[in-house]
Amino acid sequence: MTNSIGEIRNADFLFVIGSNTSEAHPIIAMEMKRAVRRGGTMVVADPRKIWMTTIAEKHLQLNPGSDVWLLNSIAHVICEEGLADEAFIRDNTEGFEQVRETVARYSPEEAEVHTGIPAEDIRWVARKYATTPKAGIYYTLGITEHSHGTDNVYALANLVLMTGHLGKPSAGMNPLRGQNNVQGANDAGATPVFLPGYQRVDDPEAHAKYEKSWGVEFPSEPGLNLNVMMKEVGKSIKGLFVMGEDIVLSEPNCMELEKGLNNSEFMIVQDAFMNETARFADVIFPASVFAEKEGVFTNSERRVQRVRKAVEPPGQAREDWRILIDLANACGAGWTFESAAAVYDEMVKDADKFSGISHARLDAMVSLPKTGLQWPCPTPDHPGTTFLHEEGVLRGKGLFTAVEYRPPAEVPDEDYGLYLSTGRTLYHYNSATQTRRESGLDEKQSEAWIEIHPRDARRRDIKNHDKVRVSTRRGSVEVRALISRQVQPGCIWMPLHFGEARANVVTNDAGDPVTDTAEYKVCAAEVHRIEEGTAPDGLYPGTFYGLDAPV
Amino acid sequence: MTKHDAASVPDRLREAGGLLEGVARDIARETGVPEAHVWGVGSFYHLLSRPDAKIRVCTGLSCLMGGAQGVLDACKDAGMPVEEASCLAGCDVPPAVLRDRRTLPHVSVEDVQRAEGDWQRLDAAAAPGTTEWTGTVGPESASDGQLAIDLCAGAAPLGQAFARAVELGPERIIEEIAAAGLQGRGGAGFPAHIKWNGVAGQAETERYFVLNADEGEPGTFKDRECMLRRPDLVLEGMAIAAYAVGAKDCYLYLRGEFEIPWGIVERMIKEIDESGVFGDIRFHMHEGNGAYICGEETALLEALEGKRGMPRHKPPYPVSEGLWRKPTLIHNVETIACVPGIVQRGGEWFKGLGRSEAGTKLYCVSGHVAKPGTYELPLGATLDELVEVAGGYIGTLKAFSPGGASSGFLPAEMRDKPLDFKTLSGLGSMLGSAGVVVLNDTVDLRWAAAQQLRFFEAESCGQCAPCRIGTRYLRESVERHARGASVDGTLEHAADVAWQMNEGSICGLGQAAPLPLTSALKYFPEDFPEGA
Amino acid sequence: MIERTEHDVQARAAIKSIDIDGHSVAFSAGETILEAAQRAGVEIPTLCHDPRLEPAGACRTCLVEVEGQNRMVPACKTPAADGAKILTETERVDRHRKTLLALYLTDHPRDREVAERGAPNELLDMADRYGAPRNWGTMESKRDARDTDRNPYIHFNADTCIACARCTRYCEEVEGVSAITLAGRGAETTIATADSLSLLDTTCEMCGGCVDVCPTGAMGEKMPLTRSAKPERELKKVRSTCNFCGVGCQLDLNVDEEAEGGNGRVVKVTSPPPGTTTNDGNLCVKGRFAYDFIHHEERITSPLVRNENGDLVETSWDNALRVAADGLRGVAERHGANALGFVSSSRCTVEENYLVQKLSRAVFKTNNVHQCAAT
Repeated sequence: MTNSIGEIRNADFLFVIGSNTSEAHPIIAMEMKRAVRRGGTMVVADPRKIWMTTIAEKHLQLNPGSDVWLLNSIAHVICEEGLADEAFIRDNTEGFEQVRETVARYSPEEAEVHTGIPAEDIRWVARKYATTPKAGIYYTLGITEHSHGTDNVYALANLVLMTGHLGKPSAGMNPLRGQNNVQGANDAGATPVFLPGYQRVDDPEAHAKYEKSWGVEFPSEPGLNLNVMMKEVGKSIKGLFVMGEDIVLSEPNCMELEKGLNNSEFMIVQDAFMNETARFADVIFPASVFAEKEGVFTNSERRVQRVRKAVEPPGQAREDWRILIDLANACGAGWTFESAAAVYDEMVKDADKFSGISHARLDAMVSLPKTGLQWPCPTPDHPGTTFLHEEGVLRGKGLFTAVEYRPPAEVPDEDYGLYLSTGRTLYHYNSATQTRRESGLDEKQSEAWIEIHPRDARRRDIKNHDKVRVSTRRGSVEVRALISRQVQPGCIWMPLHFGEARANVVTNDAGDPVTDTAEYKVCAAEVHRIEEGTAPDGLYPGTFYGLDAPV
Repeated sequence: MTKHDAASVPDRLREAGGLLEGVARDIARETGVPEAHVWGVGSFYHLLSRPDAKIRVCTGLSCLMGGAQGVLDACKDAGMPVEEASCLAGCDVPPAVLRDRRTLPHVSVEDVQRAEGDWQRLDAAAAPGTTEWTGTVGPESASDGQLAIDLCAGAAPLGQAFARAVELGPERIIEEIAAAGLQGRGGAGFPAHIKWNGVAGQAETERYFVLNADEGEPGTFKDRECMLRRPDLVLEGMAIAAYAVGAKDCYLYLRGEFEIPWGIVERMIKEIDESGVFGDIRFHMHEGNGAYICGEETALLEALEGKRGMPRHKPPYPVSEGLWRKPTLIHNVETIACVPGIVQRGGEWFKGLGRSEAGTKLYCVSGHVAKPGTYELPLGATLDELVEVAGGYIGTLKAFSPGGASSGFLPAEMRDKPLDFKTLSGLGSMLGSAGVVVLNDTVDLRWAAAQQLRFFEAESCGQCAPCRIGTRYLRESVERHARGASVDGTLEHAADVAWQMNEGSICGLGQAAPLPLTSALKYFPEDFPEGA
Repeated sequence: MIERTEHDVQARAAIKSIDIDGHSVAFSAGETILEAAQRAGVEIPTLCHDPRLEPAGACRTCLVEVEGQNRMVPACKTPAADGAKILTETERVDRHRKTLLALYLTDHPRDREVAERGAPNELLDMADRYGAPRNWGTMESKRDARDTDRNPYIHFNADTCIACARCTRYCEEVEGVSAITLAGRGAETTIATADSLSLLDTTCEMCGGCVDVCPTGAMGEKMPLTRSAKPERELKKVRSTCNFCGVGCQLDLNVDEEAEGGNGRVVKVTSPPPGTTTNDGNLCVKGRFAYDFIHHEERITSPLVRNENGDLVETSWDNALRVAADGLRGVAERHGANALGFVSSSRCTVEENYLVQKLSRAVFKTNNVHQCAAT
């Protein structure tokens, strides 16, 4: 996020795209609700009629995968109507002309054909966005989990740059992180390209610094990213160490992955619970949950906050950081960390962005009005950074990137006539290893389902609550059908949390060319009725669902 | 969801037959108002919250003295779907009974028996089969210009006063209102012209006029008679006021039990709409659903907006933030009915009609008098004068309430005090809505106080703790005292509770609610014998 | 690039002042008497107030005198006016607090064992603090008991409800779902759902904000109650960061230190006071209620290795670590370092992610390290 969570409530215009905020980020949604109550205007762009649309001024119900058309046509209007912030563009950015030329080909009228959104609405949103100073963009996986996810992000960034909605409170571009410590894991260098603090591993200076600091030599070529690594399992990858991830459940196209795991030689799983992946493990380390260990998480707004040990791990289970040290030392590494705080101190020593932060400093902040520190925070007396890019774009000039529309890797055809999209619900979390072990949550949503529009259901002779088979070119799952106008005709949607109906059996692992992030949000699917169903107990698909939901 | 969707919730609940199962969800779907809010609204108003009750017997003080308990028991014996009602503004025709939304006067036990258990057949022999009835009013004949309203004169042709008002223009109208010394006749006695100037002077041009016809103070029924007999004055007064303060839309909030006045006013609005006599001024009628508190002006605004009728904090006052937070002029029926006369004859004329204060006043009198009814007398008349017009006392005067339940009780010695705003306020009481209830020496004041406390307990909105808890506490305390129970929480702490309610309550209901008890204790300590 | 601090962003120029009990207090436009007083350290009691909500002025505990005004005013709802003289320590204010709280107590359980079964009770604390009389008797009329709601988390006890409407206002103003409402009126006023439905069948999203804002525990958390957990005041609170989404909500793990054979047990999760953390005291259903997994019986409690038969069997840490080290080294020796892949986790701490990448790079000489970072 370029801005802080606390700034959301003061936004005057909120463009929410590809984010089912009230279910995936309820606390962010509360801030947005507050902004709307205050008089702010919200626009939601989503193929599905999510709860946030009920408080939105407009719901842009775009066709799945047509994001670039929508965003480029908004840019088109901004350029065409002279709403771009020319001064900001001149002083702070590069590459605008190319974008201007590209988006000139994306008229709202033509966008209407591709996106299904009336041209007038596109114009209205463009004008409102460009002319409201405190205008923020909020997005999540609905933008990134596409084969053109990077294009989507560039297209959004173009909007931000051409309107100068950057470096100001309550404006900017705000990806909402799906997991508690995505930011922190990347900050810490758990990526094939970056060392801690976003120092490229192939940057000779950074690489040399770490070789010196660690006292070892290691390669400077970037490694494999997760999506590639998963495809290579059983091929070039023969041994895996997996900590705290149920890759079999959460990676796209898991049938292929299972095959690969059967062909690999050795795997360690370090987790608090048995899971689908652990079935393939040679060694399992009993790990800890957050309540049992010390450390920090870094949230979406770059805020580093403490995790504290409240209880002891059960049985022989250990804190993950202790296990990692034990494992390294079993391999002869000779690590001597005595605490998580010491690990953190080593990390920040060579990563300037965080070097003003320490456990001790964070602990001293508990009673202050705000807890945690937002990086960049280079020195112990630095107060942290609330929003980025205040005086000009970070690291030189903001680079415009012209993007062209590319269709999703897979679109409906004769055999698979529907768009399938997957997503999260309020009541579960990722692969639900935790939430399905919570009696109440499981009571509220105890089984998987798909949402299907009444029109599509009628054509397939599917009644509400019928058991159906959802098939794609990769596999099929059996779930309950809920007939719902929350999805638009031609689209179905299913939650991704349920192990017995794994959405990723059917989703497409076609990756974005830059990030290799898989296209969870769009693939072609078909639905067949298996048998009649009765209304299930305790299947609560969400508060804003159903034929009779408010229109 | 628009403001009109929200405002329609009470009407939709009424049309659906009250708060039956599933109704809240249906209305939520129709309007976009959250279903819990619909439920909250429905459960607030007695006429909506208990859809099974079809017959409601008024158990206000005057009706109880007129035999309400016997009628209530008879209804129960006959197996009718019956419950008690707080006050039906029929204190002059006791016992008053509400059948669905029709108020029946003088219902007797025989009337109940004749219905043979079928609530729909319940009718009052005193006014059989009538779709319209009126109460007793006086004086029957007055010379022209002697009375501000003159209930007996019959409706006058519409438009003359309004035309005169347009001639004068807003500023001079308000000057005349100021010269008249017109005080709000809903209870507070606040100078009308200050409110008019307040609204007229707002920067916001979207302004409203609201008529408070939620007459509910026990002992009071004058607004009912005004609407039944002089709807012309009421509507013309509204049109003039709206014109003077720059409002186009006039909202009329009639209590739900006023089915008959509703019909009369509605007919006349139709005539106005057809004739266009008041130009582009529009009238919108709204029906209450059984909540005394909605007579409080800000609670009324909440009700008009379709919410639970809980009073707002003041300031801001309605003149700056009223209906839908827009500048709003709110007046009681009687107050506004004075306006056409003032415009036509001048403020000085009106002022001269009064005695200790300006104008004539509609006094309601009920209880132990020969001819309960509504009588228009110079403001400042005494109890004796009023009762003389009303045919004299029944029995020996012991106590009276000069202005409804909220005014507490005064002893017989005060029978010669001017019944005006200032004098009564000085006596720790109030003129209020001039609902005078006369009690003779057969009445036990502890019992009478308990009845008034029961009323306030039933009608407290529940928003603030002093009133919500205090009304019930005091009623229980008096009842315990009457039972002779000497436990903690008898009247020992009544003074502290009363002080707290007066100091701590948000609105006038809670502030005034202890007065029946504290005044009875003060003037009639002999009616509170220890341990008996 | 100039990095602006939070303090700068929030700094507001104070321009005017009021006088509270003889102390001059500066305030900024729009501030209430209560806000000014709180900043000046002057205590004004409140029950229905919450900084996240529109002031209601309903509980009446915050009434103070303003010189020149007849009636006392609610400090929470009255804007500070330049030059106003506020009095919070007068005999009248004192009598008001005592009598009001005494009145509350006639309609409220006074026994802490009853009134404080789960959460702390601000009303009883306040009554003690201001010396409210406790001998005014007890109301005879009982409020309607409520049917038990089959929802797993939220329990409503009408007897301890003081109808301050913090819960219903939170539900509307902050969570925006309006699942609950003030219902009935007068002394019968209570908190309800439409048709008295279970919260499961309403728009409720189980955020538990109603539980968090309730000053008396009338809105309480069901699980600790049904499990007879110790009252909150006997639990140790450990401030931590939620482990679900990326917002980083701060929460307090409430630990019964004696449970689990002295290992401690998390028996409830509460949120820090509003205004002190990123989440402003708010939590969602997962953060507030999904803590059963911590002590779940399906936790792995011993290292496991696969034996000759292909079964996973319990083993010692030493053995497990040895097998693990040998396994990884074996692959590296046979196929080269880049035949290894390290999957770290965005669920784990920063320190753990650091260690995984260091393990991968420094110990096994490969940059094949990543985690699920699609967001």
